[in-house]
Parts: sequence; C-alpha cells; structure tokens
Amino acid sequence: MSYAYLFKYIIIGDTGVGKSCLLLQFTDKRFQPVHDLTIGVEFGARMITIDGKQIKLQIWDTAGQESFRSITRSYYRGAAGALLVYDITRRDTFNHLTTWLEDARQHSSSNMVIMLIGNKSDLEARRDVKKEEGEAFAREHGLIFMETSAKTAANVEEAFINTAKEIYQKIQDGVFDINNEANGIKIGPQHSLTNPGMSSSSGGGNQSSGCC
Amino acid sequence: MELVSLLSRMSFYLPIRHRQSCTRVAVLPSSDFFISTVERLCDRVQSSTLLEDRRDAVRALKSLSKKYCLEVGSQAMEILISVLQTDRNDTEIVGYAVETLTNVMCNEPYEEEDEPPRALPEDLGIQFTEMFIKDPENISLLLSLLEEYDFHVRWPTVKLITTLLINKGKAIQEIILTSPMGVSKMMDLLSDSREIIRNDGLLLLIQLTRSNTNIQKIVAFENAFERLLDIIAEEGNSNGGIVVEDCLLLLLNLLKNNSSNQNFFKEGSFINRLPAYFELEPADQSPQGGWSAQKVTNIHLMLQLVRTLVSPNGPQQQTMACQKAVFQCGLLEKLCNILMASGVPADVLTETINTVSEVIRGNQGNQEYFASVLAPSNPPRPAIVVLLMSMVNEKQPFVLRCAVLYCFESFLYKNELGQSQIISTLLPTTAEVNTITAGQLLCGGLFSSDPLSTWFAAVALMHAVFDNAKQKEQLLRVQLATSLGNPPVSLLQQCSNILAQGAKLQTRVGLLMLLSEWLSNCPAAVNHFLSNNANIPFLISQVSASEGDEMELIVQSLCAFLLGICILYNSEQVEGFAKHDLRNIIEKRIGLEQFTDKLLQVSKHEAYSRAAKKPQLNIQQTSDILFDHQFTKLFKQLENEVIRAISPGSDEENEAEKKKQVALEQHESIVEQYKGIIREQDSQLNIVRGELSELQNKHKECNTKVEELGRQIQQLKDQNALLKAQRTGSIPVSSPKENGISVTQLTMDLDAKTLQVKENEQEIEKLKAELTKALGTASSHDHGQVNAMVNDSSSPNMSGDQFSVEDLNRKLECKEEEVKLYKNKYESMSKQLVQLREQMTSGDLQEDKHSLTQRVSELEFNLTAAEIEKKRAVDNEICAQDKLKAVIEEKAALEEKVKKFEKDMAELEIELEEVKASATEGKKDQEDLLILLAEHESKLKTYRDRLKELGEKVEDDLDDDDDDLDGDDDED
Ligand SMILES: Nc1nc2c(ncn2[C@@H]2O[C@H](COP(=O)(O)OP(=O)(O)OP(=O)(O)O)[C@@H](O)[C@H]2O)c(=O)[nH]1
Ligand SMILES: [Mg+2]
Repeated sequence: MSYAYLFKYIIIGDTGVGKSCLLLQFTDKRFQPVHDLTIGVEFGARMITIDGKQIKLQIWDTAGQESFRSITRSYYRGAAGALLVYDITRRDTFNHLTTWLEDARQHSSSNMVIMLIGNKSDLEARRDVKKEEGEAFAREHGLIFMETSAKTAANVEEAFINTAKEIYQKIQDGVFDINNEANGIKIGPQHSLTNPGMSSSSGGGNQSSGCC
Repeated sequence: MELVSLLSRMSFYLPIRHRQSCTRVAVLPSSDFFISTVERLCDRVQSSTLLEDRRDAVRALKSLSKKYCLEVGSQAMEILISVLQTDRNDTEIVGYAVETLTNVMCNEPYEEEDEPPRALPEDLGIQFTEMFIKDPENISLLLSLLEEYDFHVRWPTVKLITTLLINKGKAIQEIILTSPMGVSKMMDLLSDSREIIRNDGLLLLIQLTRSNTNIQKIVAFENAFERLLDIIAEEGNSNGGIVVEDCLLLLLNLLKNNSSNQNFFKEGSFINRLPAYFELEPADQSPQGGWSAQKVTNIHLMLQLVRTLVSPNGPQQQTMACQKAVFQCGLLEKLCNILMASGVPADVLTETINTVSEVIRGNQGNQEYFASVLAPSNPPRPAIVVLLMSMVNEKQPFVLRCAVLYCFESFLYKNELGQSQIISTLLPTTAEVNTITAGQLLCGGLFSSDPLSTWFAAVALMHAVFDNAKQKEQLLRVQLATSLGNPPVSLLQQCSNILAQGAKLQTRVGLLMLLSEWLSNCPAAVNHFLSNNANIPFLISQVSASEGDEMELIVQSLCAFLLGICILYNSEQVEGFAKHDLRNIIEKRIGLEQFTDKLLQVSKHEAYSRAAKKPQLNIQQTSDILFDHQFTKLFKQLENEVIRAISPGSDEENEAEKKKQVALEQHESIVEQYKGIIREQDSQLNIVRGELSELQNKHKECNTKVEELGRQIQQLKDQNALLKAQRTGSIPVSSPKENGISVTQLTMDLDAKTLQVKENEQEIEKLKAELTKALGTASSHDHGQVNAMVNDSSSPNMSGDQFSVEDLNRKLECKEEEVKLYKNKYESMSKQLVQLREQMTSGDLQEDKHSLTQRVSELEFNLTAAEIEKKRAVDNEICAQDKLKAVIEEKAALEEKVKKFEKDMAELEIELEEVKASATEGKKDQEDLLILLAEHESKLKTYRDRLKELGEKVEDDLDDDDDDLDGDDDED
C-alpha cells in the first residue's frame, strides 16, 4: 500500500509497563496477558489516515530492561516520535521518567515528538499515580499526555494517532526537515513521481499487502 | 631543526636500507636490530615535542609494521593509541598510526620473495586485537575517528575496524552496541561519495552484522535496506559488479534468521523492488551468451534473498505474507520466466526451481498460479510437466532433478486440489492420448531402469496422495498393461512385483515409502495389497532375514514398517491376513523383539535424521539419496502405533487393550474435536459478539436518527400549526368580508335615518296641514265660538256652548303645545337633517368615505397578500406534507429496519445464548471426557503394571520425542 508519509516511532519506558502490549493492541488488536520480555527491539507497522492522507507508522518496541538500555539508545536518533510509557500502578516507573526523558532528549533529534503515556488505566483499583501527576509532568516537560489501557484498548489508537498528528502538524509548519531521513520521516513513493524502478517492475506492482 | 628533521628522515630510510642489505646477505642474525630501531622510534614518538618529528617516527613504524608486526605490535601499541588521542588534529599522523595498527593486527602473513616467512604465532593478530580492546574506550576512539571526513583518517579507520571485527567479532560487536551512535556512524559510510570508502564500508558492515541480531536490527533501522537496494540498482542490479555482491551479502546477513528484520523488509515494501533483479535480457537467453561469473554469483545471492523471506522454517504467518507479496509484485512470474527460459546456467536454473518451490509451498494462491504456468513449447505444456520430464531424465544434472522433486512436493504440499489434478491424469477416464501428462511421466519413471528415476517418481507419487485418503483410493483404480497376452495389472501390484523382484536399493526404498504412505489410513489399499498372496510372505522373508549390509537393513526395516501398517489399517476382510493372523505370523516367523529391532533401524539411520530436518533434499551425492522428508513425518507418527499393534499378550487381552487404546484414541480425538468445536464456538462467539456490538451501535444510530427525525417532524408540525394559526388569527384584524359588512351596514344605517327623516317631514307636513286646518276653524269659531262661548257661559245653552269653548281652548292650548312640541321636534329634526346633509356633503363624511374606501382597498390588498400568503402556506403545507410524508415513510422504514435489527439482535442473542450454552455443554462434555480419560488412564496403568508384573517390557511414555530432529538448521 502506498503512503504519503512514513513516520518512525519508538516506544520506551521501564520493563513491564506494557510497551509491547500497546504495540500489539495497535497493530493486531490483541492483548497479551503474559509478560513476554522483549529482547532488544521488536518491529511492528500499521497504516493510519490523517487529514485524508495515508501515513505508514513503523514502530520499534524497545526492551525496558536496564541491560538493553545501550542497545535501545541506538534507536532514538532516527525516530520522529516516541511513546514514553509508565505504569499507573507502579510509582517507580513514574519516578524513572526523568531519566528516560533525559536519555531521549540527549540521543534524539530535537524535534522528536514525545507522547507521555500512563498505561494500565483499567487497573483503577491499584492506581498508584494520579492522572493529574502525569498531566503535570507532561506540562512541565512539554509532552503530550494520555492514559491508556493496552488491555481494554482505551486510548491506544489515540495515543499513536495523536502523536502522528503532532508530527504531521510539525511538518506542515515546516519544523521538520523531511528530506533528512535521520528525522524518522519519509515521503511516500507516490509523492516523488520519478520512480523508475517501480514502473518497470510489474503490472499492478506497488500494491503489496500492508501489515494490518 | 633542520638537523632533527633530517635525522628523522634518515631513521625512516635506515631500516629499509638495512632490510635490503639483509636480503642480500640472505641470513642475518635475528631482528635485534629492528627491535632496537622500533624501540628508538617509539621513544621518539613519545618524547619528541615536535609534531613533524613524531609524524615521521610513526611513518617509520608503519613501514616496519608489516614485516615486523610482532615487534611493532608489542612495543608500539600503547604509544600509537596515545598518538590517536593527543595528535588527533593532525590527520596525517593519525592516518599513519591507524595503518600501523591495522598492519599489526591483520593476520596476513608478510610475504616477500627470496625470504622464508618468519615463524610467527598464528593468532598474533588476534592477540594484539585482544590487547587493543582491553580498553573499550579505544573502540570509541576509532568510532570518533570515523567522523573525520579526511580520507587519510576515515579510510584506514574503516579498515582497522574491519580487521578488529574479523579477529574478535563478538567482543567488538558488544562494545559497539554500547555506543549509541556507533552503528549509525558506520552506516553513514554507505553515503560517502568516495566509492572506495563506501565499498570498504560495505565490507565493514558485513563483518559487523555477522550473527548479531541486535546489530542487524539497528543497521536495518538506520535505513540499510533502502540504501543497499539503491546501490544495487545504481550498480546495474544483477549485471553489477562485486559491489552488488557485497550489498547482497550484507542484505542476507540482515535478513537470515531475523524475523523482525524480515517483517520490516516486507512492511517497507522492499519486496517490490526485487522483480527487477530477475529481468532477463535477450543476451542472457542466447545459447552462446554465457553468463559472467559475477552475474551468476549475484543471481544466486538474489535467489537466496528471496528464499530467506519465504523460508519454510520461518514463522508461518510471515512466510505466508511474504509469499503473497512475492506473487503480487510479479516476482513469482519473473522467476517462472527464468524456469522456462533458455540459456540459463544449470546451477542458476536449479536454484531458481528451489526458490519457486519455497515461494509456492503451502500457499494455495501461488500453487494455483504455478499450475497455470505454461512452457513456451509447441504445443505449450504446463511447466509442471516440463519439469517432471527433467526429473525422470537420467541425463539431467542430479541437483536439478532434486530441485524439481522439491518443487513438485511444494506444489502438492497442503494442496488437495493439486493432488487430485495430478492423480486424475493417471486415471483411465481422463487420460488423453496425444498429450504427455504428469501421470504418464510418473508411471514411466516408476518403472524405469534408472533407480533414481524410480525413487523420484515414487516419492513424487507419494506426495500426490499424502494425507489424502480420497486420492489413495483413486490411485487404486490405475491399471497397467503389461506384456502382450497377459491381463493388466494394478499399479499397486506392479509396485509390489518390482519390489519382490529385488530391484536396486533406491528403487526399493522409493517404492516402500510410496506403499507405506499409500496403505496408511486406507483400508481399501491394505485389502488390495493383502489380496495378493505373495505380498505378505515377501515382507516376512525380508524382515526375518538376518544377513545383509547396512542398506539391506534399511529395506528390511521399511518392510517391517509396511507390515505394521497392514495390521494397523486392516479391516479384517482378507481371509488369512486378518490382524491376529498377521500378528501370529510375525510372532512365529520373526519374533516380536526382532521385529521391533528391525523396525527401528530406519529412524536410527543418519540419512533419516538428515531428511527429517527440512523439506528440501539435503544431498550432494546420488548414492546418499534415501529418505524423503514427508516420509520421515509419517514414520515418526506411526512407528509407536505399529509397535503397539503387534504388542504381545493373549489375543483377548491384546484385543481388549487395543480396544481400550482405540477407545482412548477415540476419546482423545473426541476431546480434540470438542476442543476444536469449543475453539470454533469461541471464535464464533467473538464474531457474534462483534456483530452484536456492531448492531447495537447501528441500533443506537438508528435511534438517534429516528429521534432527530421525530424532532424534525415536530418542528414541521409546529410550523404548520403556526401557519394555520396565522391564517385564522388574521381574520379579526384584517378580514375583508367583515369590512364589507360594516360598510353596507353604515349605508343601511344612513338610509334608515334618511327614511326616518322623510317620515318625520311627512308627519310634520301632515301636522302643518292639520294645524292650518285647525287654525282656520278656530278663527271662524273665534267669533261665533268665542261669542258663543261667552254666550254659552250665560245661558245654559250658552253654558253648554261656553263649556265647549273652554274645552276647545284647552284643546287648542294642548294642540298648540303639541304643535310647539312638533315644531321643536321638527326643528331639531330639520337641524339633524341639515346636519346630516351637511355631513353627507361635507368633507368629513367624504373623508370618512374616502378613508373607508382606502381601507377597503387596503384591506383588499391585504386580502390578496393574505391570499398569496395563504397559497404559499398551502403550497408550503403541501410541501411540508410531502416532506412529512417522506419523513414518515422514512421513519416507518427506519422503524422497520430497527425492528429488523431488533429481531436480528434478538436472534443473535438467542444464538449467542445457544452458543454459550453449547460451549458450556461442550466444556461439561469435555470435563466428563477428561474424567473418562483419567479412568482409562488409570486402567491402562493397571494393565501396564500387570504386564510389568508378568515380566513384559512396557513403554511408559507414549510420547514420541520428535523435537530432537528439528534442531539446528544452519547450512547452505
Ligand atoms: N491490566 C493491564 N495489564 C497490562 C496492560 N498492558 C500490559 N499489561 C501487562 O503487563 C505486563 C507487561 O507487558 P509488556 O507489554 O510485555 O511489557 P513491556 O513494557 O513490553 O516490557 P519489556 O519488554 O520488558 O520492556 C504483561 O503481563 C501485560 O499483560 C494494561 O493496559 N492493563
Ligand atoms: Mg516488551
């Protein structure tokens, strides 16, 4: 499927906060109740529509475990968006946000859009971090904020899509240099009409199946 | 200054001069001299305060470093590293230092003619590498040097890092992983405009990505796919040179065994760019053309790339998705074109067949496409037929024939339709006379004198009936014409006959595999086999034979397997060969232990485990060919059942246990079935739930629509009412009729008044006349009467007269009064009349009249306006009514729909309930079954225990441990 833009995302945050589950919910509309520890990074993709334009999201779900931290740092630079996730039932994951944010700011391109996510909103009874605290943190650091549940899918679509909207807006405002791929943004093939490789390849070629 | 620089230059040349003298002298006492030279140079690098001086010393070290790598390495390593740190700004000295380190660490033996190579420890480079990376900071140092654009620094740094990676790949990969920008700095090399750096960058990345999933993923994240595919395209795809080869090697590193990257490759639509690689030019297809070695290599790697994406060992879902993409972008078509083209080198053709095999394997759409591919022969034949012709042709290269078999198997894998298509070409009804069919080729191969052809044909046929009971029965119908005068013989019997005639080993193995698959799960075929009296004795004789080499043992083992299948799927219909008959024969003629022993020979063979690993034949030599992958699956599945089927014990007990076994299996299968049903119901439930919520949403939507429509209707009604109200409400204000009435009334009033006035006048006239008459009589009387009156008063007559005068006077007075009254009345009347007349003529009334007419016209105008308005209102009303009607209709329709939805929903809910109920029922059943199972299990255990007590060997664990066989899979 051809797209107007391609955005690269990363998902970061402490282990067990539900990063992989958020991705799975977004790409496959499934929930995985068992913690399947991510080793290194895993890749996922989905197409969304913003402003009538097809946008391909390529998402790298990183391992939250400390031992993988150096590996996952390699993914900051080329990403246009980051979902920084904490677990509303575990205060320590909230307390670590500053470290994560410093790390992200240090290694990423300055325009990276960061969405702060308080996950597991379905576990209201076990809530340990107030929604207002998340909002305050986001306000203080200039992030977008949202509470989600990878289990019930509440706000999951919105989290990914709103991040994309923000990036899209930044493109419209000319903040992003879309020709520099290190920003994690690519213009789709249909926008650069000169594509000799494609036309010669086959009839009805570029409609390979999308992921989703 | 001058002196120092001269000295340094001298010392630079010195060793070289000396070396030259060495060669002349041939043997020279040790390298003591060089050790001291190296020492001196090191000293200079360390102590000299002049950059130029240090630079020259490093350059001198560099020139020594190839030949005297041991000396330079052991003495100068630390010093060189510190040069990299302190003299960072001088690109020249940094370049020399890096080159020196590279020379020291690269393991290339220094060779010079006339001189015997020095005996150095083989792993010297590795040891120096270890020294170098002891401090991981050194790697960071090199990574930072990569950022230096100057060619003198960047290029040698690329080479040094490559050398380090070759020597101590794992350790350096780990260090690089801890440096966040490390990989991306190396990736930037691919964008360097200086080709030599880009190309050496490729070599570096190939080393970097070797078997490290994490690095592979980062490299992919850094847009490697895009970049590499661009380079390949720029370099001319398969016609490109070694750079294309290097790009492909790197791509393969990134994709092999890395499903995350494979997914990324697929999601990035990069598969779409692959068809261009397989575009054949006319020159490629000319018989004399000949492909360049580089092109052959490139195409091989490109094919491998495709195979990596659709590998049968990969995650199934992803393989399927990639297979689909390969088809959709036209790549499968391109590959099939190569299959049918001429001038393609045999090894390329073979690998293309293998690739096509994996692109179509188990993917119905692709299999269907493949079946439709026609070879450009005259007449056009299906590609499958053309390929099979090669398979059963002895003259074709062995690997090519193996590839065709793989392709054929892949075509039939999970493809019932394809299986029936192939089998149907063997059946008498459909066989056409003039065309060559797959069936004919397979039959021909089966009875060829070439054992390989037989083996290939037998295995191919086995795949045509694999796991397909229907086709097994169909195949029983095939009859063969034999020599003249003899009756036709069935295909099954002919296979058995060849077997019994003692054909070549591979022929027999092939046929035995075919028969085993054919008879398994097909009692009709078992009956057919048993109905020939010679077959069982032959098998018995084979299994009971004690002589024979390793290969004969395999045949005997396969015979035991076939014998076991004859018991397993025996429907007790052939006299003398019922289950217990066969068991008896085995026990008497072979012995159970020997039978089991023989049976297990197959799975012990090394060729068996090799075949079990993966579907493609993994064989280089014709003599190695033995087992087929699918057959190993069958064997694994049935070997334990066979052993159980012939297990000892009295017949009844055996039967009883068998029955239990069967019951157990049945239960298991029932439980499985239930599990399946439950799963299905679960998914149905989910679907129904989904539908339900969808319907509920729709329902909600409808409701809101209905409400809105209701609101609209109400609005329209209100408007309508308002219009109506306006119409009626306007009457008292401006109704023209009412005005008309009042005018006429006024005129009428006026008329009445005039009439009254006239009447009054008349009366006045009358009174006047009366009055004058009365006055006339009164004057004549006046005299006489008054006199008379007077007289009357004096005389009685007179008194009478007098009385009447008085009366008359009174009367007169009365009359006069009356006249006065009338006169007054008349006057007032006249006055009124005048007034009225005046009014009538005066402007007042005129004005009144005028205002009246004006009002009338005004009213008339109002009337027309009102009429127009009314008309409009009526129109509006009609329109509104139409609308209303439409709305009502719509509403009715919606209500209908809603009703239908509700009905559907109710139905769905009922269904849901049912499903739930049956699910719980199913669960309950399952539980019951589990209990039953447990009972059986315990019974079984008691049986086993009893058997054990009786001293029999009993296998406790019925599980087969097949998993061991799918272990490692890295070859090719
Ligand atoms: N109740 C609830 N559980 C969740 C939610 N999201 C994730 N979980 C659970 O939290 C656990 C961890 O989820 P993962 O997505 O594997 O965590 P992760 O952030 O990817 O962890 P790492 O891969 O180690 O970094 C799993 O057991 C999930 O089932 C949620 O929204 N609600
Ligand atoms: Mg995870």
